[in-house]
Amino acid sequence: MNLSSRSTGFSFIAPLLVLMVVAFNLPILYMLGLAFWEKGQGFTLDHYRGLAEAPVYLRVLGNTMRISLIATIANVAIGYPLAHWMRGLPNRARLIAIALVVLPFWVSILVRTYAWIVVLGNGGLVNRSLQWLGLTDAPVQFLYNELGVTIGMANVLLPFLVLPLFAAMIRIDDRLLQAAASLGAPPRTIFWKVYFPLTLPALAAGALLVFILCLGFYVTPAILGGGRVPMISNLLDTLINQIPRWEQASAISTILLLVTLLIFAAYRRLDRKASA
Amino acid sequence: MKRRTFVAAAASLPAVGILSGAARAQSREIRMIESGGASGDSIQVGYIDPLKAKTGINVVRESPSSLGKLRALVESGQTSTTLFELGSSVMVQAKKLGLIEKIDWDAVKPAAMFPEAKNEYGFGYQYFSTIMAWKAGQKEPKSWAEFFDTKAFPGKRCLPDYPHYCLGFAAQAAGVPIDKLFPLDVDLAFKKLNEIKKDVSVWWKAGAQPPQLLKDNEVQYVICWSGRVVGDPAFGMNFAGGKADLSYFGIVKNSKPEDKAAAYKLMHEMSLPENQAKAAGVISYTGPSPELDALLPKDKLWQFPTSKQNKAVQYFEDAEWWAANGEAVNKKWEAFKLSL
Amino acid sequence: MSDIRLEGVTRRYGTVAAADNVDLAVAQGEFVTILGPSGSGKTTLLSLIAGLNRPTAGRIFIGGRDVTEATAQERNIGLVFQSYALFPHMTVLENVLFPLGVRKITGAPARARALEALKLVRLEGLQDRRPSQLSGGQQQRVALARAIVFKPDILLLDEPLGALDRKLREDLQVELKQLQRTLGVTTLLVTHDQEEALSLSDRIMVLNHGKTQQVAAPTEAYLRPANRFVAEFLGIANFVGLDGGRTGVVRPERVRLGPVGVDGGRSARVVEAVYLGQMVRYHLALEGGEGAPIVAAAPFVGKAWQAGEPVAVSWDAADIWPVA
Repeated sequence: MNLSSRSTGFSFIAPLLVLMVVAFNLPILYMLGLAFWEKGQGFTLDHYRGLAEAPVYLRVLGNTMRISLIATIANVAIGYPLAHWMRGLPNRARLIAIALVVLPFWVSILVRTYAWIVVLGNGGLVNRSLQWLGLTDAPVQFLYNELGVTIGMANVLLPFLVLPLFAAMIRIDDRLLQAAASLGAPPRTIFWKVYFPLTLPALAAGALLVFILCLGFYVTPAILGGGRVPMISNLLDTLINQIPRWEQASAISTILLLVTLLIFAAYRRLDRKASA
Repeated sequence: MKRRTFVAAAASLPAVGILSGAARAQSREIRMIESGGASGDSIQVGYIDPLKAKTGINVVRESPSSLGKLRALVESGQTSTTLFELGSSVMVQAKKLGLIEKIDWDAVKPAAMFPEAKNEYGFGYQYFSTIMAWKAGQKEPKSWAEFFDTKAFPGKRCLPDYPHYCLGFAAQAAGVPIDKLFPLDVDLAFKKLNEIKKDVSVWWKAGAQPPQLLKDNEVQYVICWSGRVVGDPAFGMNFAGGKADLSYFGIVKNSKPEDKAAAYKLMHEMSLPENQAKAAGVISYTGPSPELDALLPKDKLWQFPTSKQNKAVQYFEDAEWWAANGEAVNKKWEAFKLSL
Repeated sequence: MSDIRLEGVTRRYGTVAAADNVDLAVAQGEFVTILGPSGSGKTTLLSLIAGLNRPTAGRIFIGGRDVTEATAQERNIGLVFQSYALFPHMTVLENVLFPLGVRKITGAPARARALEALKLVRLEGLQDRRPSQLSGGQQQRVALARAIVFKPDILLLDEPLGALDRKLREDLQVELKQLQRTLGVTTLLVTHDQEEALSLSDRIMVLNHGKTQQVAAPTEAYLRPANRFVAEFLGIANFVGLDGGRTGVVRPERVRLGPVGVDGGRSARVVEAVYLGQMVRYHLALEGGEGAPIVAAAPFVGKAWQAGEPVAVSWDAADIWPVA
């Protein structure tokens, strides 16, 4: 009975699955396969050997992971308190706060990125204010460095962290926290032993999402990084559109995909342990 | 089974169309992929509109163009796009990869052209220059040695985030004469770049960035495309030692003969100086006719890449050298970027 | 173990007083129930005692100590919520260990105490489960074990059995009473369920609109309600007119029914007879139609009056309690 109804369900989604496999997975497999193929030569590992011999591409990958990690940490440092603060707001203010957090979703990433130039540039709002207030003599260099990239990426990706985190936080029953207080726990203990562990799964999922999205960032590092922050997607663009060395690009993408999957597997393990 | 065979098999349906099509027939509409923006508008005004007026043939434009797109186009076996815009070194790459076809110059019957524009595989239709520019009122450098001298010419720099738009200038700044640039002394050029890297605020990816950064006073000196700064009193510029580039149109591999016939008609229009003058009215880049200067406004001749006084002081890159060394140079470029 | 004393405790939200000048003294080891309809302020009162909320005016003493300004964690109170409020990310044992850990009691002694508390609530062997793997009744027992394991000065129960079904609720009522007696802990229970209040408590406090209506032993409050509200809220009340325009209350089980014309009494007609197992409840309309319908309750011993039958209704003057 149960089995047959399940198989009926499967027959309904089968066309979609086939579409997914053909339209989505096959091109990816083809792309991954490129790295193992050379015209007139067949199977080869040369493209990976090339990576190992000239590790500059791997260093760019390492740099990308480092920047992504910094951006993710910055995102958590801003997003967690923000989500927590939103939880404590009255209903109407909460709606406004959510709208403000989601607002960047509706603005083109290019527009948002250029908006930061207006705000944080040498002649931008922040620097002019700082100088007008006499806090600094020379403009502070916010942009065209890793700081600029981190600010830009954190801004773009903040909703991806804040929304799931906020959703998890409002699900936490206030009475749990009251119970902890009544059992004698000081606020710090309540936070670390009760509140934080309950938000941890959402925090981990959000941070993972942000990190993985960071790995593929293209526009923001190119513009706000002033070209000084090499990221793997810009390198891939060069290898695909300018040189073009698709096989090499494929090898790098494969490694990127593997790293991403590894991180995801580590997350799953942690998550399962936490909810076991 | 080789991958290409598989791809070709997937494309067998349109291939039947080629065999059955009449060889002498000519399409009423073809498609091109060009680089977009004002440059695309200049193609419309300068060449497509006159072609349509004369022959009724329409050309549909798409953008942007990249080598990756061309490769995907050819490897997927499609034949809908006939003309593809390519930079000079990219054209050499595309030729090597077998992505473009030889041009039948007899069918084009071009008017007089600069020799470098009449390539076996490409029609050089638009000259553009990469030059030094600065915010008006800055001390004006006369050479690349001066541009790279950040003590005598203080100010933040903005340089292209592309090795082939940087290294030739750096080599000149290091003392290599403009007619001895190739084969390029890459290490010498990087040594020079290393000297000024701390004064470079931004390495630009998009051509719109350098003029904007000058206006915002984020930087004072830039290397940029001439069309982005000429004619604006906010900027000063100098073509000396600049890099003259030529954008080509190539014929996409496996195009149908009737589409090619139409494409050659467009190329013929592109060779006519009066059409090139129209295009130059839209963007300050110029076509390949040696007689074009006479048709351009005298007071604006200094703005154009191919004006006599400008063409003489610039260099052309060695596309073959770049095609052979591009990837190795790019690795060094990435390493250099990591050291910033 | 401590006593509780409230002196003029008031909590206002804007112009509304959820607790209005409430006085209460709960003796050490006593079990007192705060009873009232929803919105009467009973939960507010409990949260004021627990320290989750601050009174607008008045003082609160626990064990003679003024705790009015003390935070919840300084009060050493065992608190049990209707929603259990177990920590879902901890096992049963970890939940029960939590208040001990906060008090720096760890290791084997803590574990022994936690297991002892779980044994008291009859949950031996379930210590490694997660709350989500337990039934509602079991979860409430965990909450109880967690609230008593650290030997709190007082135990506060906020509708602890409200989310359980009837049978389970009755079982747990008995257990709760036994547990409270065993521990001898001063206990305050909040409920809207009058049966629960009557069966569990040494004394009950009836609350309405934030104001104390009566504080008394259950039988006292039932038979001698301080006012109409208490009379109506605790069980079923028949209001009868007295001399001088006053009103008295007669409880249904004090109403006698008999055949018409035998023992006197007022003639009436049975409108409805409701069988409640051991008892039958009669809704009666008095002859002449004047006055409210009378409710009587009589043991069911083979024969009962049927709807439509005429009956004679009477009660002793001693069973009338004047309420206003």
